[in-house]
Amino acid sequence: MADLARQLWDETPDAVLAVAAGGEVLFWNRAAEAIFGFSSAEAVGRTLADLIVPSDRLEEERVVRERAANSGVTVYESVRRRKDGSLVHVSISSKAVKDSDGNLSFICHTKKDVTHLKVLRDSKLVETRFRDLLESTPDAIVMVNVTGRIVLVNSQAEKVFGYQRSALIGMPVEMLLPERYRAGHHGHRAAFFAQPRTRTMGVGLDLYGLRNGGEEFPVEISLSPLVTEEGTMVMSAVRDITNRKKAEQKFRGLLESAPDAMVIVGRDGRIALVNSQTESLFGYPREELLGQLVEVLVPARYRSKHPEHRHGFFAQPRARSMGAELELHGLRRDGTEFPVEVSLSPLETEEGMFVLSAIRDVTDRKRYEQALHDANRLKSEFLANMSHELRTPLNGIIGFSEFLIDGKPGELNAKQKTYLADILGCGRHLLKLINDILDLSKIEAGKLEFHPETFSLIAAVEEVRAVVSTIARDKGITIGHDLRAGIDIVTLDRQRLIQVLYNLLSNAVKFTDNGGEVFISAEAQGLSSLCLRIRDTGIGISPENICNLFIEFRQLDAGPTRRYAGTGLGLALTKKIVEAQLGTVSVESKPGQGSVFTVILPFAPAAALTDRSAESMPV
Amino acid sequence: MKPHILIIDDNPINLRLATDVLEAAEFHIIQAVDAEQAQKLLIDVIPDLILMDIALPGMDGLTFTRKLKADMRLRPVPIVALTASAMKGDDRKAIDAGCAGYITKPIDTREFPRQVRSFLLAALRPGGSLAEQP
Repeated sequence: MADLARQLWDETPDAVLAVAAGGEVLFWNRAAEAIFGFSSAEAVGRTLADLIVPSDRLEEERVVRERAANSGVTVYESVRRRKDGSLVHVSISSKAVKDSDGNLSFICHTKKDVTHLKVLRDSKLVETRFRDLLESTPDAIVMVNVTGRIVLVNSQAEKVFGYQRSALIGMPVEMLLPERYRAGHHGHRAAFFAQPRTRTMGVGLDLYGLRNGGEEFPVEISLSPLVTEEGTMVMSAVRDITNRKKAEQKFRGLLESAPDAMVIVGRDGRIALVNSQTESLFGYPREELLGQLVEVLVPARYRSKHPEHRHGFFAQPRARSMGAELELHGLRRDGTEFPVEVSLSPLETEEGMFVLSAIRDVTDRKRYEQALHDANRLKSEFLANMSHELRTPLNGIIGFSEFLIDGKPGELNAKQKTYLADILGCGRHLLKLINDILDLSKIEAGKLEFHPETFSLIAAVEEVRAVVSTIARDKGITIGHDLRAGIDIVTLDRQRLIQVLYNLLSNAVKFTDNGGEVFISAEAQGLSSLCLRIRDTGIGISPENICNLFIEFRQLDAGPTRRYAGTGLGLALTKKIVEAQLGTVSVESKPGQGSVFTVILPFAPAAALTDRSAESMPV
Repeated sequence: MKPHILIIDDNPINLRLATDVLEAAEFHIIQAVDAEQAQKLLIDVIPDLILMDIALPGMDGLTFTRKLKADMRLRPVPIVALTASAMKGDDRKAIDAGCAGYITKPIDTREFPRQVRSFLLAALRPGGSLAEQP
């Protein structure tokens, strides 16, 4: 009989346990061990509260125990905790057992695992209520009850996780999680049910789901509590963010492949993302920068102004680059600074507006610029010195030749005069070359200054014509002009205008054969500029040569046997002088039919603003 | 009485050129190759005008000009700079040092006597100088 009773305790599918009046376990059968995970040896002597009653059920347990002690059998349904922390729905019957004196000797409990029955009940409840609603949402919905059993899934969930509905209902939701997250999950669920409120997870965390077949995929999850008469459940909306992660990966790849340091900053000025170029440029490890204010990368003296600039950007977010004219600097972790150029672009994301700044270290470029600047300065100094050294002997060559030709020390014969004229011509040529080279280098260095004055254009043209006319007369060339008083008084750099006129006029005479004609015409183009034309009946220029015309040392008929003397710098210099005053030089020509050079020179600004009639101009 | 011109130039050829050109135009020329030699000459002679090369060995022409302008006895003598330099600002420097004007080399032998004469005339005008006073 005792054996049968013993066998009965061991084989009954329900947990049977006895608890002393003091609360400690006296008896714990095999089914109790199977349901709750504690062995008899572990359980006996400890209290139920210690073993299987979740903390939020302690009060319920106490009430039930009292009721059982007073009124015989009590039957109820509740939740109990297993040894592994997971929860189980149980149907409990409790009965107080008393001794012959009517004192309580122990309470006998039978506990039946009704988790599955409960799931079916919950499932039925939520299905009728929420099914249609949940099918219409784009996310996978998995509804779970307090024991972590799946009670409802929508078809998106079936698709995303790759299971039939029937294979999911009643199963622990942990089956949809990668193995490594499962152990910790009971705790998360307990925490959720302890404080049930809607929350989103996955932003900033790396969460993964597990598909049927073992493939993991990144997810974002939002949890909402669902209070029903069958207890609180949790509805999780699961979003497969594989594509977004891929796009993010692509974005990060792009960031990493950029040659510049890329720093992404939020409205609050905190750094959200950096690439590895940022780490090496600024000397910070990535994790030290993330979440920091971007001002740590800015030298202290600019810091206070920086948030204001940032707000300015977010107020009008558009791509812009900075640093080309500004002197911007970055600050390394070790406190050293370096010159930078920064371009900013707005970056619209699901999390709001960010600014993407590409930061380029321009140390090397600044160094090259400095070296170039130094080299240019050295070149200018060299040219100035060279010019001085070359002019000194030319003083003797030109001066004595002139002095001799003029017969000051005594009369010379014709041949001697011719030779001396050649020496003088060569000397003057050399001097012109030196002056032109010096002017070119000044223009290249941006050092040529213009000094506008108000003067008579006719007088200036006559002055140049007088100089050139000696050669023109020898060749029987006439130099005419159509200048009238209407555009006579102009405000320009007189010296430079004369230089331009001289170059063009002597050029025209040089390339015009004996008996030809050179003609100067001038007109005002509105109030803004002067248009000068120098027309000749010379040899003309072929179309393929026109493009070489204004290039230094490219006299068209070059070589040792060239017919025409000249430095090859005149037209190049003319073009640069005119363009430095924002004017233009152009040429129209056909071989054999002469050329027309057109110069358009803007009047100096002060004069352009005043009344330009001849009478009112100061002379 | 011919005008007396002191020419200070270390280059013997250029010195001779300026001398010959001016002598042919009826000037009386006194020559010096540097500031030191010029200073010795100026103890006994006060010329009507000094032509001063700027790039002199030893004391340079601008420094020497300042020195002469600080000397009460020599201050009235107009000094004209002779310079082969064509760099911007060199003319200004000559005027600032106290020169009445400057003539760039290479000189134009046909113009040179006339240029020198006009500086002389300007100096003779009451309070006269061709250059603006700073």
